[in-house]
Amino acid sequence: MEDNQRRVNFQRLSSEDSAISDDSCEYYQTDIYEHLPSTLSRDWNSIQSLKMLPLCMQEKRNIRERLHQQKLKIGHWESWRRSQRIAWRRMVEQLKGFFSRLLPWKHTLHKIEGRFGVGVKAYFVFLRYLLGLNLLNCVIIALSVLLPSLYIKKGGPHCNLTSKDNGSVLDVFLGSGFLERSPVFYSFYKLKNIDKQCLNTSLLFFAGMVLILLLSFLMIVRRTVVGYKHTWMTGNHFSMNMSYKVFCGWDFCIQDPQAAFLKHSFIKNELKMDLEEQRFRLRVSQRTLKQKVVLFFLRLILNISVLALLGGSFALIYYATIKSQNKLDNVHWTLKLLWEYLPPITITVVNFVLPQMFCVIVTFEDYSLTTQLNLTLVRSIFLKLASLGIYLFFLITYLTTSIQNPETEFGKEMYKLTIFHLLACFCNAFLVSFPRAWIVDKYPSSMLAKKIGKPEFVIPLNILDLVYSQTVTWVGVFYCPLLPAISIVKLLVIFYMKMFTVIRCCAPAQRMFRTTSSSVLFNFMLLLGLIMSAVTLGVNINMFVPGTCGPFMGDSSVFNVTSECVQTLPRPVRNGISYITSEAFAFALILAEVIILTSLVSRGGANRKTIERLKDMLVMCSSDKRFLVKQHATLIRRQRRIAPSTE
Amino acid sequence: MGNKQTIFTDEQLDAYQDCTFFTRKEILRLHGRFHELAPHLVPMDYTDDPDVKIPLALIVNMPELKENPFRNRIVESFSEDGLGNLSFNDFVDMFSVLSEMAPRELKAIYAFKIYDFNVDNYLCKEDLEKTLNKLTKEELTPEEVNLVCEKAIEEADLDGDSKLSFADFENMISRAPDFLSTFHIRI
Repeated sequence: MEDNQRRVNFQRLSSEDSAISDDSCEYYQTDIYEHLPSTLSRDWNSIQSLKMLPLCMQEKRNIRERLHQQKLKIGHWESWRRSQRIAWRRMVEQLKGFFSRLLPWKHTLHKIEGRFGVGVKAYFVFLRYLLGLNLLNCVIIALSVLLPSLYIKKGGPHCNLTSKDNGSVLDVFLGSGFLERSPVFYSFYKLKNIDKQCLNTSLLFFAGMVLILLLSFLMIVRRTVVGYKHTWMTGNHFSMNMSYKVFCGWDFCIQDPQAAFLKHSFIKNELKMDLEEQRFRLRVSQRTLKQKVVLFFLRLILNISVLALLGGSFALIYYATIKSQNKLDNVHWTLKLLWEYLPPITITVVNFVLPQMFCVIVTFEDYSLTTQLNLTLVRSIFLKLASLGIYLFFLITYLTTSIQNPETEFGKEMYKLTIFHLLACFCNAFLVSFPRAWIVDKYPSSMLAKKIGKPEFVIPLNILDLVYSQTVTWVGVFYCPLLPAISIVKLLVIFYMKMFTVIRCCAPAQRMFRTTSSSVLFNFMLLLGLIMSAVTLGVNINMFVPGTCGPFMGDSSVFNVTSECVQTLPRPVRNGISYITSEAFAFALILAEVIILTSLVSRGGANRKTIERLKDMLVMCSSDKRFLVKQHATLIRRQRRIAPSTE
Repeated sequence: MGNKQTIFTDEQLDAYQDCTFFTRKEILRLHGRFHELAPHLVPMDYTDDPDVKIPLALIVNMPELKENPFRNRIVESFSEDGLGNLSFNDFVDMFSVLSEMAPRELKAIYAFKIYDFNVDNYLCKEDLEKTLNKLTKEELTPEEVNLVCEKAIEEADLDGDSKLSFADFENMISRAPDFLSTFHIRI
């Protein structure tokens, strides 16, 4: 009797009765469950639902046999349709498996996930996604920009480039000399007519660039929305849930004993921090008025100091930009290199030093630990994007007023930013992280090792770095068309360097990284970067005085080329285009969008309320079901007891 | 297909493919893994459905399960006798439910079974305490354990009986988007 009671009820999860019921009662409970409409309807569905039944293998095979026998009773048409559906589903599964195998580095990422958890894997998955994006951009550029220019060798206006013929290694870093005359930069491409008035290299150039921005925009919006939908549907309460941490805390993928040990201490720290936060919240609710006023003024002062720091760094960037534009000529090459690279160096130093200071400042503001981390993250994001924005602002202002070939200069600056970013990653991996890890490994008990400790792979800041590099690529692609190709090489190198850093140098993080909610944040940042680059492009096209070289030089600015093309189109198309670009159409479009948005938002709100109500109904219905089954079982038991006694 | 394997009949492989989330190749590979756990017990020829069970002690030494604090409970939940002796059917079932393709509802059902230490179909405070101690290797103080368990039950309990039924558990899991990615073992 005891064994039967302890037997796990594989069929269903019944109510309290199973603890006191005997063997026959369970049997009767099973019996009625098999006749319930919900169970029967499940059987009727196709094979797909068979996999999802929570039964042991033998039961599933029995059901499958029954399904097959029922198939014989159905007509040929129905069974043929069913077998087609099964074959189709199997083929789709095989295709999915095939495509997932095509993704590179699957095995490496699997190993990383096992040792370092889901968060670090998310970083590398994001890197791989950016690689794919850049590859797509490269293909578009190759088709629309490179091929037409290289195919038509002759023709086009003459172009005088004022660059020296040094041909040294320095040119690779500065983008001058032979590099300036190569397809890497804007000045290589000329306006050549291919066929009709509309088909020329410049228009293809412009169309290719616009296509890149548009495609990237669509892809990122889709990625953001998919992640956001998921977060929105599941609600935002989970991050504080103790229950979530207890039941979903352990990562079942872990196989390494070291990783398991770290995960245990991880979870312990998380829970301790949560308890700490509870105590903190209790303390907050007990603050007196005087304490609140003092805290308010303290926070005000600290925020002003943060703003002052930001302002100071922006001023630094301004001076660096202006100074570096006055080119030095007759100096040693190292000094020249340093001088030209002054803006990127300033930006990188600012982005390295300031977040550390933010970390220190935020500890005085008396927030809970989670709020502290979020606040630092938000400030770092703002710093990174704003410093790039300020740099672009001052650069464009300077180039508009003073230089002959602003486009090529702008392209060169973006090129320098990219190269320096790669150098900075290299230095960080091999000159900062590796020595730190080496010291801690070799002399673990020394004062130095205890003070600096092993570097930690801070996921949000690293992803921010990737977003920054991608934004620079997008900003520079119009004036340095091969920048996506350079970016691909750079991302590949960064992938292997970061892998080296994570595997050999880093200590695992002490805090769990919420992948889903943070991934929405990072996709949104990528979107912000893309919008910033689109705005910059628009400003550039408007403000730059066309230089002496490039596809849109002199008279043939972007507007002229496009309007010339439009003039040659047939009349109805011209009328259509003029209507689409008029203000009336834009106003109507905005109005329509507002209406659609309002209806979608209200539908979303109504859906959310419905979900809550349905969840409540589900709980009620299942407890009703359990109650009724219990009653039924009790009645049957009573009947059976009476029946033998009457015989 | 090229190689003619003699471990299973085609019909058996079809049945496995329909009842689990694995393809034929993966099922053959799983059989290889099952065999190497106990080469003297497990026959290479499964065409006549032999009734062979591997004891718990051998299964929890698999590299995929060795570091898992819940390995004993996992194997017990999928065994027919509740003591952890798995036949090949149970073995395949276990990894099918824990694979990436199993849906959330199915995983929630089995996660509930795994965390239910006293097998009474409820997650009571003792079950939670045992879960927590296994998670943190008993490094939290008893008051901390108590606080955490109380808070967890308070958050998830819907019908107010201070223990979690399956409906409470499933409701809580449905709000946890990382559940699918953490509750899976790759083999």
